[in-house]
Amino acid sequence: MLLMGNEAIVRGALEARLSVATTYPGTPASEIGDTFAKVAEQAGIYFEYSTNEKVATEVAIGAAASGLRAMVSMKHVGVNVASDPLMTFAYTGTRGGFVLVTADDPSCHSSQNEQDNRFYALFGGFPLFEPASPQECYDMVKKAFEVSEELGQPVILRTTTRVAHVRGPVTVGEISVGPKKKEFVKEPARFVTVPAVARARHLVLLEQLSKAEQMADESEFNTVIRIGDGGRQGIVTSSAAANYTIDAAKGMGLHVDVLKLGFSNPVPSKKLLDFLRTHDIVVIVEELEPVLEMQVRSLAQREGLGTKVFGKMDGYMPRAYEFDQAIVTRGLARAFSSDQKETTRCELPQDLPTRPPVLCAGCPHSATYYAVNKATNKKALFASDIGCYTLGVAPPYSTADLLVCMGSSVGTAGGLAKVNDLPVIAFIGDSTFFHSGIPGLVNAVHQGHRFLVMILDNRTTAMTGHQPHPGSARDPCNPGAISVSIEGVVKGCGVKWLKVVDPYDTSATTEAVKEALTQDSVSVIIARRECALIAKRDEKGAIVKKHYIDQEACKKCRTCVTKFQCPAISSIDKLQTIDEALCAGCGVCAQVCPYKAIKEAP
Amino acid sequence: MVDVYLVGVGGQGIITASKIVGDAATLAGKKVLLSETHGMAQRGGSVVCTARIGDVRSPLIPDHGADVVLSFELLETLRALCKASKNTVVISSTERIVPLSVSTQKLRYPTMEDVEGKVMRTAKAFMQIDAPRVAADSGVPMSSNVVMVGALAGTGITGLDRAHFESAMKMNIRRDLAENIIAFSEGYRLASPQP
Repeated sequence: MLLMGNEAIVRGALEARLSVATTYPGTPASEIGDTFAKVAEQAGIYFEYSTNEKVATEVAIGAAASGLRAMVSMKHVGVNVASDPLMTFAYTGTRGGFVLVTADDPSCHSSQNEQDNRFYALFGGFPLFEPASPQECYDMVKKAFEVSEELGQPVILRTTTRVAHVRGPVTVGEISVGPKKKEFVKEPARFVTVPAVARARHLVLLEQLSKAEQMADESEFNTVIRIGDGGRQGIVTSSAAANYTIDAAKGMGLHVDVLKLGFSNPVPSKKLLDFLRTHDIVVIVEELEPVLEMQVRSLAQREGLGTKVFGKMDGYMPRAYEFDQAIVTRGLARAFSSDQKETTRCELPQDLPTRPPVLCAGCPHSATYYAVNKATNKKALFASDIGCYTLGVAPPYSTADLLVCMGSSVGTAGGLAKVNDLPVIAFIGDSTFFHSGIPGLVNAVHQGHRFLVMILDNRTTAMTGHQPHPGSARDPCNPGAISVSIEGVVKGCGVKWLKVVDPYDTSATTEAVKEALTQDSVSVIIARRECALIAKRDEKGAIVKKHYIDQEACKKCRTCVTKFQCPAISSIDKLQTIDEALCAGCGVCAQVCPYKAIKEAP
Repeated sequence: MVDVYLVGVGGQGIITASKIVGDAATLAGKKVLLSETHGMAQRGGSVVCTARIGDVRSPLIPDHGADVVLSFELLETLRALCKASKNTVVISSTERIVPLSVSTQKLRYPTMEDVEGKVMRTAKAFMQIDAPRVAADSGVPMSSNVVMVGALAGTGITGLDRAHFESAMKMNIRRDLAENIIAFSEGYRLASPQP
């Protein structure tokens, strides 16, 4: 069957006696959780969308330490959040198979950085699998659970966007999930990492890693693929880069051996040394950081080998962005001094209008940003956060001045407010607030920071595909889920000034922002209105009717496109129009127009 | 080896269209690789999907390497031309979705003559389909994507049978299947070589 890499991961896990799966959604990993959400009940496993990646990891650790197989999935930056429990879980080890899936995003298609999470495998001491195709996602997940249980160590499976979001043929087997219950057998000398235990367990980890290296050396996922007649030239590669490498080598007509690593940490030293000894030139082809290259060079130096090694440390391959066949072809041609017709990159004409992503028609964030700009006259500093609302960075709103990671808006706003005189506003979504905004708010209350937090509550985790969060009224995976009140949390944190507004009412929102900014402590506004896409899907969205622009009343002031942004409104050659098919009927534009030229459609 | 480069605007149903192509190829017993745009770009941004039918490992189509550019929006047709060559058939919906940059930065949305001129200079053939109208006539205004898949099938370039496409539609269309089949058929008819 044709499966997306993320779906193949789920399928493999369901055939590998999985009992518990957890996640916090994030592109390009989201479909792992979304697929579990669809099938968990029928398959008979437990699945949850956890509050954040750290909690998701900890829930999975609880199950795996009890002896059941557990999987936790997240995007690459999610592992930063989860890294605290992970680093020490490598010391305790696990009883049931434990697989962490990290989906990396070379080229930052949908991310704030392109960090290479293979370093976490080296950093924490995790056996690492790197599938290159949906079939390998399926195969390696099954193997990863076996390896994890055999070693008693947590294992990482790392994909990238071009593995996670590729669909390809996958041959599957029979579903076979694990039991629902297993009694935790107490063993504090292993699982309670007081210093004495931690010191002892570190040695166990190192011992298990050397066993893992033997397994990597014998792994069927670390194999030599001969291109042409092979010969004295070689390539070491892994993950998506292996695909580009093999296609490029074939396309170039090279005679070369490709050592493709699927079980890549610990590196299979014996296999690598054999490969280095039997080849005169070895090129390392890997996306992002020189993780394999550093280790290959170190092995060659240790053994005093004269093999020439090329990679990105000497500039043959780029260190930033994802690869493609052309990039790899260029690097290989230089390293192997092979005569290749230089392929030039096709450049797009400069005059093509760009089409970056935008806030949707009827998006409540759009209305909120309009009101904030009106209230502050843009004389404010905006700490933004991760979600659809980050798109407010673009004109006409320009409501994002500082953004580093999930939940950072509230913390950074505190620092901004301490050293600036301009008013400071933090924007954070409902899901992100639960994820990691709360500690920042507690800190702001306790330290007496003075700024406004606007919780943009659209009742869902919109950007990643409308997953539930702790404030959601309904959770498809958990019918009895309790909705945690954002107001309750905010008040519980000790916030003295709190208001809830409907962003579709722009004057009330504007007034609330003005009032909030006069407070002498941290203030909170919850701007609550359901995501327009969900409202549309459930056909209960429009609070008012579709709108049109009365061209006779229109004074061509263009306020509807210079102060407000809606995909349904276009302005070409001074003619402003509303596309009725796109209009969500929110009526915000009618409040924006100073001449009352935007009217309800008859 | 047949490479199809699908482009358009987030929300136009391009991923579904590429899945239909992928499932049709699979039903025909061929190897296929699809790549997709997810996440932030889906919010009204430029969206790219690829379908590579044949024995290949890389999901991305090299520059000038597409056999077909299947575009759901006129401006995106121009943006896709890097993947086109004199061996490429460009099938484009005539739908225009004006991006914000035209409204706010006063950049010019290309005229039909611009698009025709540039496509004809680059590609082998240019086929225009009024997909929104065909979709509306079929009774499901949201089925423009299926009209375009019908047009792709109608050209015969993929080497896949109509029956494979229709079975693939059953796997991917959840609502109004009968109307969608009508939309597909009309796209197919418009793109079929004249007898």
